[in-house]
Amino acid sequence: MAMQERVYLTPTPVRIWHWLNALGFVTLIASGVQIRFPDYINIFGTYRAAVSLHHTAGIVVAVSFLLWLFYYAVIAKMLIKLYVPTAEDLKQGAVKQALYYFFYFFTGTRENPHHESPTNKFNPMQKGAYVVIMMVLVPLVIITGLILLNMQPLHNLLVAVGGVRVVAGVHFLLACALTAFIPTHFYLATLGHTPFAHFKPMWTGWEEHEDH
Amino acid sequence: MLCSAVVMLLTAWSGTGLWAMETADCLGCHNYADEVGEMNHVDEVKFMATAHAAMGCESCHAVTEEHPFDAETAAVVSSCEDCHVSIHETYSSSVHGDSARCVDCHNPHQAYAPVSLSGRQMNDSCDMCHPMTQMEEVHSRWLPETGIHLDAVPCVTCHSSSDDFAITLYLRHRDRPYTDYELASYAALQEQTGTENIASIIDADASGDISIDELNEFYADNGSHRMRLWAMMTPETVEHNFTTFDNRWDCTYCHAAGPENMQESYVALPQEDGTYRRLPLEKGATLNALFGTPDFYMVGATRSRTLDIIGFLIILGGFAMPIGHGTLRFLTRKNRRKDH
Repeated sequence: MAMQERVYLTPTPVRIWHWLNALGFVTLIASGVQIRFPDYINIFGTYRAAVSLHHTAGIVVAVSFLLWLFYYAVIAKMLIKLYVPTAEDLKQGAVKQALYYFFYFFTGTRENPHHESPTNKFNPMQKGAYVVIMMVLVPLVIITGLILLNMQPLHNLLVAVGGVRVVAGVHFLLACALTAFIPTHFYLATLGHTPFAHFKPMWTGWEEHEDH
Repeated sequence: MLCSAVVMLLTAWSGTGLWAMETADCLGCHNYADEVGEMNHVDEVKFMATAHAAMGCESCHAVTEEHPFDAETAAVVSSCEDCHVSIHETYSSSVHGDSARCVDCHNPHQAYAPVSLSGRQMNDSCDMCHPMTQMEEVHSRWLPETGIHLDAVPCVTCHSSSDDFAITLYLRHRDRPYTDYELASYAALQEQTGTENIASIIDADASGDISIDELNEFYADNGSHRMRLWAMMTPETVEHNFTTFDNRWDCTYCHAAGPENMQESYVALPQEDGTYRRLPLEKGATLNALFGTPDFYMVGATRSRTLDIIGFLIILGGFAMPIGHGTLRFLTRKNRRKDH
């Protein structure tokens, strides 16, 4: 008979950060869509409201990102361990995990090779995805956003990187990539032993593991 | 001395004193500030570029036969409204009508159509009563990116009912990296090109219009970032009912103007007489070219269709996993039953 084991997987600061970030991202996407396509979409009443909201949410997400980085890197000291794939992850772990998701998951013949713990929350594929998202895409979207928010004082930097059109284009494509992550993120979160198994720890901190 | 000699010669020739002074006669003296004083000075080069030059000095000024030896100031015999009837009517009924006369904003000896002026020159008359620093402070209370807006939109674009606009690009240059860009003067461009045909700096094939390839070439040639193009949204004509119109408070008046309104664009080059000559840009150059006008980005209006499509495909890719994997997951759900 299967036994339930409870693991404290997501500390309070991380949960607060996650939901603040989620709210920030949704706000940025909604206001960003209105800013880019004002002739088709009006969500916030006026264009100026959408711009002000986008600026505010952008600053909130930027500060929130720095707090997250500070928490994991300095306080929890687990940034590298949790997020950066090891050589073993790249050589074998990622292949095993991919085989599970794209083959054994459907046949139902093997269990998930990765077992979550507070010090090993992410499987090798997750590590690869998160290291790109959190260490590359999010910092870049924040940096390009901050440049666009301070075009006059940073005009020399703008010129050096090719002009406002290049920066705005990169910002837009990065935002699209992060938007694309959301449906994937939601879906992958349903792949636990029950569809909501991965949602609960992001709210309560505790995840129930199945022991056989 | 030369000037006095010309006048004496003309006076002697007139004999009876019944001679009509021609524009050239007037400019024989009035082109020289040290002869007639700063107040009476008319810069011949600048004056001859105005539409007023064709009408001649005598259309507006009358002098006695003894001029200039009678020490009388030339009488003004006609006023602006004699010719500019509708502009005068519009202006008189505007909030500015009681505050400033035509000549307070326009020097009739240097009055040009808006298409012959830079956006900066258009702002010069406003600046006399509404200093730019003060306007920046006033606008910053509500206008995001105030500095950039005031640098890219002449006052009359928003504060008159003109509604026919073009994107006009001006050459700006700087001598050293990490300094501010300044509007390039005719002399500076002449020095850089080494020729009087300053258009050659951007119109490489001398066709009289600018293609996207020529824009790219211009930026490639200015790899050291010495020269850039700065875009302004300029009115083609200026209505004189200067005030703040309600629709201008709405950002979408410009930012949702749509691609159709961004098709007309020009590169404006400074001329020796102080005016600007516009060379048309290839249709859509400021809109679709990703790198042709790297410093011009009017959010909401100049979006690139190519980037939109790429962005849409990226977002669509985000649904590949939920849809593809989810479908197979549903079809194979029996395999994962616990009692299986």
